[in-house]
This record gives sequence, structure tokens and C-alpha cells, in this order.
Amino acid sequence: MVSDDAEAALAATFREEWPRLVAAALRIAGDLQTAEDAAQDSFLAALDKWALAGMPERPGAWLMTVCRNRARNAVRDAGRADHKARSLRPLLAGQPSADDGPPGIADDRLRLIAMCCHPLLPTNAQVALTLRMVAGLTTEEIARGFHTPIPTVAQRIARAKRILAQQKVTFTSDDPVVHGRLPAILDVIYLIFNEGYLAAAGSALTRGDLALEGYRLCCLLTQLIPGERSPWALRALVCFQLSRWNTRTGEDGGLLTLDTQDRSRWDRALIADGVHALTQARPGGRGPLLLQAELAACHATAPSSDATDWTVIVALYDELLAIEDSPVVALNRAVAVAMASGPATALPLLDDLASDPALARSHRIWAVRADLHRRLGHTLAALDDYQRALELVRNDVERRYLTDARARLAADS
Amino acid sequence: MSEFLLLGTRPAPPPEMSPARAARDLATLAAWHRWLRRWGLLRSYAVRPPWLAGPRVCLVVRAAGPAAAARLAAGWGQAGGYQVTVLRLCDAATGEGPHGER
Repeated sequence: MVSDDAEAALAATFREEWPRLVAAALRIAGDLQTAEDAAQDSFLAALDKWALAGMPERPGAWLMTVCRNRARNAVRDAGRADHKARSLRPLLAGQPSADDGPPGIADDRLRLIAMCCHPLLPTNAQVALTLRMVAGLTTEEIARGFHTPIPTVAQRIARAKRILAQQKVTFTSDDPVVHGRLPAILDVIYLIFNEGYLAAAGSALTRGDLALEGYRLCCLLTQLIPGERSPWALRALVCFQLSRWNTRTGEDGGLLTLDTQDRSRWDRALIADGVHALTQARPGGRGPLLLQAELAACHATAPSSDATDWTVIVALYDELLAIEDSPVVALNRAVAVAMASGPATALPLLDDLASDPALARSHRIWAVRADLHRRLGHTLAALDDYQRALELVRNDVERRYLTDARARLAADS
Repeated sequence: MSEFLLLGTRPAPPPEMSPARAARDLATLAAWHRWLRRWGLLRSYAVRPPWLAGPRVCLVVRAAGPAAAARLAAGWGQAGGYQVTVLRLCDAATGEGPHGER
């Protein structure tokens, strides 16, 4: 048997090479489908050869050669077909050539990410296309990650490819200024990470594959454009949150809140990476991503739950609210206020938020309110709010947590 | 023991493959080949250059007879995702060959 370590190293090699291969094939072939096929064929060729002859000295170069040849063959074959079709339909003559123009973005992988996050595409298609083309996840894996039927994801990817083809967005013609496309790219990566970090629905609290893909994409982005500050902020945020990954659920799979987690098990390497990323991000100004990263850093670097500086956290939320007046941020701020100044101060803030339509379908506000009522000794109100939260929660682990909390309170009263 | 040629082709366009899946498949197939070598069953092999169509890989293996060769072929096909054709190359007892078989 091959050791798990060897397989993991192999997977890391393939993962790292995948976007390079897709991008290189895309540059030659011009369309996403051919590029995807060429990259995949090069993996299959590796399967045939490496399993018998061993891994070559430079696996990336080997894969790239195969992939480029595949793409060139596909273009040549398509050229033959085009030649026949051209005699019938002169319209085809206007297609751009494979090597049009110099690239505006130096690295093809970044260009690929930018293309997948093209503003013509709806967000869910940007997410699916990025995961397929950049991260290399299969349609099935993406569907599983998002708890979406496979045909739906397949349709999103196919539609995205069609839109890009119809609008003649090719790898070489799509030459965005990175800075302009960056917010969309960061949104997509954050969405991917968040869905993995706190699964909106389903039986597990988290989906590791998606969260790790989000982290990897952050690392790739900061590696490709180290001078841009906002990707560093996102990387810092992701690092701090990921550092708690192993402690968020107990041995029985139950949810563990921040104050009950075993901090000695938090991943110190990720926290160090987060601190480094935060240092890189700070000169870029205090935007929403940086402030969220600063908030996450307050928790990740506090030696104990009691030592958490909630006053600083409230101040950071104030700053964030001034930029981004969102009910979700206001809800999180209310939680921080409750920790800094006590539940009685925070409760009126929640009353204002409870009628906000953006939170109407969220269980969180009711769960937080229930907890504040409980701490104030308002048992009936707490039981009532727990019940409301339970009616709205979609994640099974969170449901179990709320059910247990309500049952404990009911038993105590 | 006789020698058999196993010809591996890929019957259909492959399904989507993720990097993790490719690594897993490669590790499985490599382990299978190591097992063949350890037992002295793999005599030689050839891999077709990836840009050419047709059979992707061929193995020359030693097996006690057609049934044993067929079992090896089935295992190899499963590990590598190949459709496998088996050809007898040489019968060790008589020195005769080749005889085409499926």
C-alpha cells in the first residue's frame, strides 16, 4: 500500500498543477471545456505512466508538456472541423486566435481566477466555476459541498461556460485590471470558505473540503499578487477561523462555543500565518475584510476566554458598522456588547434588530436573544426564543445544541 | 507459467477527475504494480506516448494459465480503470505461442 503521506503529497502536487494546466490549455485552446479536458487527460497520462515508471523528476513540467500537446491537438482537430464548416458558414472566420495579444495579468492562474469570477456570471456560477477550474473539484464534490443536486451544479457550470463563450470572453481577450476584479474574486473565495466553515444546512457543522479550498485559494491569491492588501486580510481571517477547526465540535459531534473550546488545541501555525497575513494587510487601510480579520485575531490570540478584550471587539464592530451597516454585523456587535457590558445592555439592541427583514429567516438572532434572556433569568422568554430559533435552524449540529440548551433550561426551571 | 500480454485501453471519455481523485487512483494503481513485481509476475511493460490514441499501457505478465491471467487482467482493469484485452504470448511448457485469447 502507498502511505497516506505519499498520497497526500501526490494530491498536493496535482492540486497545485491543476490551475496551471487549465490556464495553459486555455491560453492555447481558448475555451474552458477543451482546457478542462486537456488538463484531465494529462492526469490520466500520468496515471498510466507514473504508476509503472515512477514519478518524473519534474512532475509539473511533465504534466504541462502533455497538457499543452493535448490542447494543441484539440485546436488542430477543431481547426480541421472549422475548415469544413467555414465553407458552409463564413461567420466562423471571426474567432480569435489562440495567441492573441500580450497578457495583462502576469500569471495565467490569476487570469483564470479572474475569468471564473467574470461580472457577466451570477455569483453561484462564479463559485462553481472557480471550484471546478481553479481548485479542480468535480461537479459531484461541489454539489456535495453545497448540498445542491449534482445536475444543478453541472447546469451552473455549463451555463457559465456558455455565457462566456457567447459573450466572446476568452482567456486572452478577458484582460481585467486585477484591482477591479478583486472584490468579486474575494467574495467568491469567502463564500467558498464560509460554506465550508459553517455549513448552512445538513448533518455536519462544517465541510472541511470547502473550507480548505477557500484557504488554499487565499494562499494562491496572496502568492500571485502579494502587493494587493485585501487578499492578505482575507487570508488572515481564514487562518484565524481555521485555527479553531478541530475544537468546534466535541467528541460526540456537539457544538462547542468559543468559551468552551480547548484553546491548547488551536492550530498555532495557522494563527502565526494569520498574524503574518494581518501584518501584510494593515497598510491597505481599514476596510471590512481587515476589520473582520482584526476581530478574529482578538479571539485567536487571547490566551483564555476570560482574557478576551471585549471592549476592543465592540470598538472594532463599531468601526465595521460605520463602513458596512449590516444587521448581521449589528447582531455580532450586540453579542460583543453583552460580553463587555452585560446582557441587560445588549438586549434592547436585539429588540431593534428582531424586526429586520434580513434576519427574519435566521435562527441566530433568536438563539442569541434566548441566551441573553437566560443569563438575565427571564426563563419563559428564553424558552420562547429558543423555540423560535429551533423553528428556523437548518443545520443539524446547531439544532442539537439549541435543543439541549432549551431542555436544560426547562429542566432547571 | 506462461506469459501473457495485457493491453489496457480506456473505453470511454473519462469522468471528471479531481486532483485528490487522481492521486488516489495513481496510488492504488502503483500499489497494484508493486504487488505484481513483488511476486515476480511483471516481466515488462510499455506505455504509449500520451498523444497517441489506442491502448494506453501494455503489461507482459506471468500467469499459471488463461484463468489466472484473466484474474490479473480483471484486477489491473479495476485498479487502473482500463478495459483489458489478454493475449497469450508464450506457453512455458511447450514454448509455443502466440495464441490470441480474450
